[in-house]
Amino acid sequence: MMRIRSVGVSGRISTISYRSVRFHSSHNPKATSLSADEMAHFNALASSWWDVNGPQRILHKMNLLRMDFIHSTIRNHIKLNGPEVPVDEQIYIPPFNVDLLPKPIRNTIIKEQDDKRDSILNQVKWKVLDIGCGGGILSESLARLSFIDNVKGIDLSKDVLEAAKLHKLKDPLLNDNKLNYELMAIEDVPASEKYDIVTMFEMLEHVDHPSKVLVEALKRVERGGWVFISTINRDFISWFTTIFMGEHILKIVPVGTHTLEKYINQSEIRQWFDERKDSFKVVDAKGCIYLPAYGWKFTSSPDVGNYFMAIQRIK
Amino acid sequence: MTSSVMEDVVIVGGGPAGLSVLAALKNSPKTRHLKCTLVEASDLTNVRDFYDNPGENYTNRVVSVTPKSVEFMKSRIGNWDYMKEDRVKFYDRIVAYDSQDNDNARIDFDAGSTESGVLAAMIENINIQSSLLKKIEEINDTEGTTVLDKTKVEDIISPIQQSLEDHDLNEIDPNAGNADLDWPIVKLSNGDIIQTRLLIGADGYNSPVRKFARIESRGWQYNRFGVVGTLKMEYEDYRSVGWQRFLTTGPLAILPLTEDNATMVWSSTPKLSEILLKTNKEIFPHLVNAATVLDEADLNYIYKLLDYNPDDMAVIDEIKWRLEKFDQQNLEENYPLKVVEVLDGSRARFPLKLSHADTYIAPRIALIGDAAHTIHPLAGQGLNMGQSDVAALMTALESGIDRGMDIGSTLVLDSYVANSWPSNHMLLGICDKLHKVFATDYYPVVALRGLGLKSLNVLESFKDIMVKIISAR
Repeated sequence: MMRIRSVGVSGRISTISYRSVRFHSSHNPKATSLSADEMAHFNALASSWWDVNGPQRILHKMNLLRMDFIHSTIRNHIKLNGPEVPVDEQIYIPPFNVDLLPKPIRNTIIKEQDDKRDSILNQVKWKVLDIGCGGGILSESLARLSFIDNVKGIDLSKDVLEAAKLHKLKDPLLNDNKLNYELMAIEDVPASEKYDIVTMFEMLEHVDHPSKVLVEALKRVERGGWVFISTINRDFISWFTTIFMGEHILKIVPVGTHTLEKYINQSEIRQWFDERKDSFKVVDAKGCIYLPAYGWKFTSSPDVGNYFMAIQRIK
Repeated sequence: MTSSVMEDVVIVGGGPAGLSVLAALKNSPKTRHLKCTLVEASDLTNVRDFYDNPGENYTNRVVSVTPKSVEFMKSRIGNWDYMKEDRVKFYDRIVAYDSQDNDNARIDFDAGSTESGVLAAMIENINIQSSLLKKIEEINDTEGTTVLDKTKVEDIISPIQQSLEDHDLNEIDPNAGNADLDWPIVKLSNGDIIQTRLLIGADGYNSPVRKFARIESRGWQYNRFGVVGTLKMEYEDYRSVGWQRFLTTGPLAILPLTEDNATMVWSSTPKLSEILLKTNKEIFPHLVNAATVLDEADLNYIYKLLDYNPDDMAVIDEIKWRLEKFDQQNLEENYPLKVVEVLDGSRARFPLKLSHADTYIAPRIALIGDAAHTIHPLAGQGLNMGQSDVAALMTALESGIDRGMDIGSTLVLDSYVANSWPSNHMLLGICDKLHKVFATDYYPVVALRGLGLKSLNVLESFKDIMVKIISAR
């Protein structure tokens, strides 16, 4: 019980006695499983997961950028004037860059569009599946959004999920209808359950068979729904930033978090989705980089280092 | 005993900063769903009444409001519509001059080059407060907005710390709120107990919220008092100029209000401030006129007479014949108009100090306004710093909501400090140095600053920068 108490309150209580691998997975038959040493690594991190100044601080900071990416992608792809909207009720969308207009007119147009987006978003109630939710950093954020009805977070690390469940209690907004965690692999989620948003953040680089995970995940996406993923390009820059600097020099990422061989290039995922372009479309990809003393920042190139990707199911 | 209720935001303090943040939260589509309570110890009845019945005379607490703050009130808080605009005086020039240099060292800040042609607006505190309160009432969100006046915060406790240090370990407080949450618990004098996701301290210089959060505030007393008063001038000044004369006892500012009204902030030594408060109200206008023109040696003599006998009407003649020695046309053109009356009961003093909190946030805590910083009034930035705090805090909270964050988390509040602390620190430093440079009669400094004022006055680029700072562009 001591372990549980320490979670999220301060994270300073030692976790050393819990470094044993509690959730054995050496004979796990699941294709999507974490390898045994990955599991041990994440279990050991469980108690300090929610200490925003602790070992996972960089992940908490990254979550801000993830949410910016998800939020802006969804907002920017809302159809302001659907085919059923009568002409006189349509929102004016200038066929040119609004920055060319005088400032007051530009602001009015942008405000009108924003208000319309708000009103459309206010009417939807989306369901989210967060695969590899870990301690629930992303799941909690998604569950608090006004247009999200509920979030289901799944993970294979029991201790980390326990940290997630405990931390959920620390916000009355996140009641049982809003946010649920379950210890299960993606293929154990009933295929009949469809989700408007499926997320896999900082997860593909930790599994042994990422393409199998993706296939299973895509089966559970609602028509018109979104898939958001993030992982890391397999290049020198990534090794230098995430492993050499992050884990060993600056020590802002727990040692052993990353394995270079498991990184996946942006182009590989793009290619993978190209083979499925009848039903899925890569809408956006953005690189991101961590700058010490500033935080995470989008970069112009998704082919270097960490990146986010947004994919929409078109039919 | 009442059991505790849960709120998203509790604001301690119903001054301009506290009311601004409540009105801004309720005016923003992103944050208006938050359940908010504002707690104010004093009675806000006079603030409420001001909207329907503002009274004839100006109140003595008047602040300088920059165009940036005005824009913020118009577009993001939305209280400007409820402001008594006939009591708002925009001015476009400040003339600052030195008492130690007879060579007429002065610097003339003119807003003519700026977009709006306005340097700042003089607005009564109560006008701002009442417009904010009216805005909050007009939003009429009875479910999610509570304003409690005549209510004191009796205690703030942390559910995490209490068992360790504040309370007997064996005694469990049944009203301590939900111990699963690390939300601060606020106990009020009306018996209410609120456990809140975010506690905003807008509770002034001695901020109990800041003390609860154990945030250190550093600074010093200037050993000076600001003496305020509401003045009547001999006629309406169409120049719309703010005047500031740097005396070694502290700057004397005479700032225009509408028609023939003006307001005064006279920074002075403790001794002088006592004299200013006790001087007969028939003599006082002459004393202000003297202080805008005469040498400090003459002024010191007059102070001495008034200290000995504050009702000594002969002082009026002492002042008059001294003023008559000056070129009357020069006085008319380059100095403030003559003061003819000081309003009864409008004179008051407050101690001047500089303070700056080490940070404005802690988990579930944010400090704004005087709780975070107090500044020397010589540049009229006090209220504006509070407004820019509110703007930065609102931006942080809005993006926190967009990102689905817990708005009490330091991950959300961090950007508030990053965007407000450094610029506040710079402004505090500039005003502090200005005070120190002008508070001396040490000759080398006097000569240098006279030279400085004159050379700065011809350097348009410097003046542009200063105008930008004063009008916060």
